[in-house]
Amino acid sequence: MTLTVLHSGTQSLIMDAGRPGHRHQGIPGGGAADKLSFAIANHLVGNKWNTPALECALGGLHIRFEEDHVIALSGAQMWSQNQGLNLPLNKAVPVEAGDILTMSFTRSGCRAYLAVAGGVQGKSFMGSVSTYLPAKLGGLDGEALKTGAMVHIGPKQGEPNSLPKGHTPLLSNHVVLRAQHGPEWEALSDSAKRYLFTTPFYATAATDRMGTRLKGDLLALETPVNMTSSPLLPGSLQVPPDGQPILALVDGHCTGGYARALQVIQADLWLLGQIAPGAAVSFRRSLAEDAAAVLKSKNSFYADLIPGFTF
Amino acid sequence: MTSPLTPPPVTSPPVTQPPAIQPSAIQPPAIQPRILPYGDHAILVDWSADKFSDRINDTVHALAAKLRKSGKYREIVPGYDSLVCVFDLAKRSADATKRHIEDILARDISSETKTGKTIDIPVHYAGDSGPDIERICEASKLTLDEVIALHSGQTYRVCMMGFIPGFTFLSPAPKALHHPRLETPRAKVPAGSVGIANWQTGIYGLESPGGWQIIGRTPLSIFDAKREAPFLLEAGDHVRFIPQ
Repeated sequence: MTLTVLHSGTQSLIMDAGRPGHRHQGIPGGGAADKLSFAIANHLVGNKWNTPALECALGGLHIRFEEDHVIALSGAQMWSQNQGLNLPLNKAVPVEAGDILTMSFTRSGCRAYLAVAGGVQGKSFMGSVSTYLPAKLGGLDGEALKTGAMVHIGPKQGEPNSLPKGHTPLLSNHVVLRAQHGPEWEALSDSAKRYLFTTPFYATAATDRMGTRLKGDLLALETPVNMTSSPLLPGSLQVPPDGQPILALVDGHCTGGYARALQVIQADLWLLGQIAPGAAVSFRRSLAEDAAAVLKSKNSFYADLIPGFTF
Repeated sequence: MTSPLTPPPVTSPPVTQPPAIQPSAIQPPAIQPRILPYGDHAILVDWSADKFSDRINDTVHALAAKLRKSGKYREIVPGYDSLVCVFDLAKRSADATKRHIEDILARDISSETKTGKTIDIPVHYAGDSGPDIERICEASKLTLDEVIALHSGQTYRVCMMGFIPGFTFLSPAPKALHHPRLETPRAKVPAGSVGIANWQTGIYGLESPGGWQIIGRTPLSIFDAKREAPFLLEAGDHVRFIPQ
């Protein structure tokens, strides 16, 4: 059982829930950049939430199905069609052998997830088939899907599901991230501290799965930061001496040497995967005493719906 | 600092021999780290040492081993003089994580680091493998042979791994060899390159962009996903460079 890639798109990657627990070896957890949308797509087609699926950034992926399948699209809102008919987002739909699916330009968000009942298959490394391009791990030979590639589909796991109203994440081209102070917050100047929570930044073209360089008001450091390399996490906003902040994403470096000004809260990490080049990015202050309650309510909102999934 | 997680006042380790003070028997007090929140789902333990310290790095790795053994955390990432512990906020609080770390650090654990393996790393110094070694000869006023002898004349400790798979951060190079990073980083540094950046020396595990002064290259693969044991080295190991 296979599907054929007729056009590879901007960047289409095989992803699952990633390989957490290896940052001390220099291996980021990686996996689907937006784990919520990825989990929803899998749930809709009757897969376990962490079954490998395709992550398509910014569109351009064209696929031919070689047999009948059930598929679902989640995440970024793309103009997607099957055999020329518009495809809904967040809904399981049947496709037939020979059908051609086209995912065109993106209206909001950055990455769409295409789940196929049974899941796609890739090369496993450290228990995950997630593609990690810098070290060529997982996926098909560690690379992004190429035009002409054949992707194998696994055996069907369960019956399709639907999503109750109100459970669809709303994605916008203005991504608002709740964040708390990072370890070097105090190294920022007063004006930089104020800008961070009051003015929007813009994701530049230097945006990929490792990180996004933001543009906005320059963030001055009160004191020069001369750090020995220290561990770095996804969702950390680093401020280098040039004042243009860099937000570390799902495949971000495991260590860094710049001031870690902010850290996005656990409940919002999934949104990091939906920052497209050109999108506005704002940070909202999250209070230490609130974050656990926010996470708890988000987890319980999806817990009954998608077995096993947590933020 | 107004954070609820700022460390308590430094308390000296208990001294239990009041009457006759024997200077030789007094251990220097363990340096107390700052234990800070790193966002809502991680804790940073930060010794911020001005100078590299074996004892601090020993403590970092002993703490990492104990935290990992507890099985309570998502990631335990040791650095030269810091450690980040990532927890699931749905299962643990920052305060509980901080207390766990404080309990472990309540006594001096620096001697509990298991000594890792020692690996000999063959290195082709200079030439195409080490294009920046001449610069280090000039700056240090040493001959090529002297620089090679100095760099390969000591055993190094693997202090941390990352920023990419297999990148090996080692304990300090001999002082005469310290040299700043390149002003403009190279777009591509070959896998196996051995470099110097200020006091740090290290090995590029993969081809990657990089700004370290490259003095040689090893044919060994520090990281090879196809190998049964993908990582040749882990933090806590020791390496010796063998000039070829």
